[in-house]
Amino acid sequence: MARMKFFCDAERCIECNGCVTACKNENDVPWGVNRRRVVTIKDGEPGERSLSVACMHCSDAPCEAVCPVDCFYTTDDGLVLHDKDICIGCGYCFYACPFGAPQFPTTNAFGSRGKMDKCTFCAGGPLEDLSAEEKTKYGSNRLAEGKLPLCAEMCATKALLAGDADVLADIYRKRVINRGASVMDWGVNYQKASLRAGRSQKGKASSNN
Amino acid sequence: MRQGDAIVVDAMTTSRQRRRRYMTWSLVLLLALTLVLPLIPYAVEYAQVNDSSLVPNPGADLWRDVRQRDNPVMGQTQVRGVDTGVLIYKSGEDWRIFRMQWLAPYGAIFMGTVLGLTILFYLVRGRVPIPGGRSGKKILRFNLNQRMVHWFTVGIFLLLALTGFILLYGRFVLIPLLGPEGFSITASACKEAHNLFGPLFLFAMLLLIITFVKDNFYERGDLSWMITGGGLLGEDTDAGRFNAAQKAWFWIATVFGLALCITGLILDFAVIGQSREIMAISHVIHGTSAVVMTGVLFGHIYWATAGMEGGMESMTTGYVDANWAEAHHNRWYEEVKNEGEIEKPSEKPGPGSASAIGVASPHPGD
Repeated sequence: MARMKFFCDAERCIECNGCVTACKNENDVPWGVNRRRVVTIKDGEPGERSLSVACMHCSDAPCEAVCPVDCFYTTDDGLVLHDKDICIGCGYCFYACPFGAPQFPTTNAFGSRGKMDKCTFCAGGPLEDLSAEEKTKYGSNRLAEGKLPLCAEMCATKALLAGDADVLADIYRKRVINRGASVMDWGVNYQKASLRAGRSQKGKASSNN
Repeated sequence: MRQGDAIVVDAMTTSRQRRRRYMTWSLVLLLALTLVLPLIPYAVEYAQVNDSSLVPNPGADLWRDVRQRDNPVMGQTQVRGVDTGVLIYKSGEDWRIFRMQWLAPYGAIFMGTVLGLTILFYLVRGRVPIPGGRSGKKILRFNLNQRMVHWFTVGIFLLLALTGFILLYGRFVLIPLLGPEGFSITASACKEAHNLFGPLFLFAMLLLIITFVKDNFYERGDLSWMITGGGLLGEDTDAGRFNAAQKAWFWIATVFGLALCITGLILDFAVIGQSREIMAISHVIHGTSAVVMTGVLFGHIYWATAGMEGGMESMTTGYVDANWAEAHHNRWYEEVKNEGEIEKPSEKPGPGSASAIGVASPHPGD
């Protein structure tokens, strides 16, 4: 089976928040719940980079480890999903998650949070595939329709990729090689790249990715 | 003639100047070569490293920044909320390790050990009877107000301890028994009860401290009581209204109880914008305090119930037998005797008092 992963290319993300909007719209998540968010580091400074973050569907998921009711499960595709009928809304997954993925509909006094909600990789939940109940509880199940998560599908610069980890790694490796070939320097320097872009480099970037 | 002389002098000076220039330049060249030549291998290596296929991940610097443990990078995001700008929250892993690899196993080992030792102690030592049997004379030890505060705290604490430990250990113990759905309902009820009744514990703790603090300060004799183990190891069993072990329990309950209350409130009311880090730290203190307090509580319950005859009734009826008071809290007994607070003989003397003769050192705390 494929191992499904998200990958966000910091060299391509332009912080348009299209993935956030796509996710909210597709999954109809309640107000205040953001399964995906874009974080910009060094905003307005040299070296500014943006990354789109959601549940990373960890192999050894901390949320799954600390859940007191064991409501998480890992699918054959390597997706970390959870059962909202089991979840008690204690918030432990939120304390443990390094990516801030678990979301709660409310934050009220006396520890009242409601059932946890997080990115499902557009794969629904434990209920029957494409059922109405699954749609209301977990949002879209695009994987059952043979489609990839909408956030990645909608990404205008193809910074956010979703799919089989091996395929993503291949795509990223090609991108890195091309960037290296065009600048011949540590990291990426677009200023130099534009100066050096000679005939030999033309078309290479487009042909490879 | 004069002209020729001048030419010769000119030639001599120019050749000398030239020689000097050659020497200077060759010296400079030599110096330059000694400095530059050893750098050639580095240059070669640099050129090799910069081979296009070996360019490091362009995001490497970014990720190195982001993952730095001591200096978490705060970003900007459109999503409003606490900590949404944190890209990678490293402390989550520390909290996971604490809860799953420290609190749960070592908490169970600690509480199980205390419980086991208590049972072992009972099996070896048996129940400590009232020395000299029951006198029939009764002394008021705890008035109604004090007893109510005590049992109020007991009720709240037991409810919170039970629900709390179900949330900690239920996944391992109760899911196999109740199934995931069944345990989910149990855990949900426990979580709600814990969160709703939790704040009452602060109220109970404050009442408890106010009620009992005045008799729980250090007095002369407490140290020797502690050293002799309250008569278990030696003869010195001098004690006031509360012995040193009871005082220790009072202060342990105060410190850990208040720690439980404060951290519990931080966890229970996540509405004032506290970060995950603060809540995780609160949970560490909360869990540790709960385990310590429960472990020590086993000892307290043991001496109040199975471990000693005549102690429990002080918290149920409020009265203790005069002989019990004289044996375990002699200084307090002298005080109340002088004030003439000893009550009339009770209607029915204790039946178990006959067997009490000849048992030594019955002086631990209740």
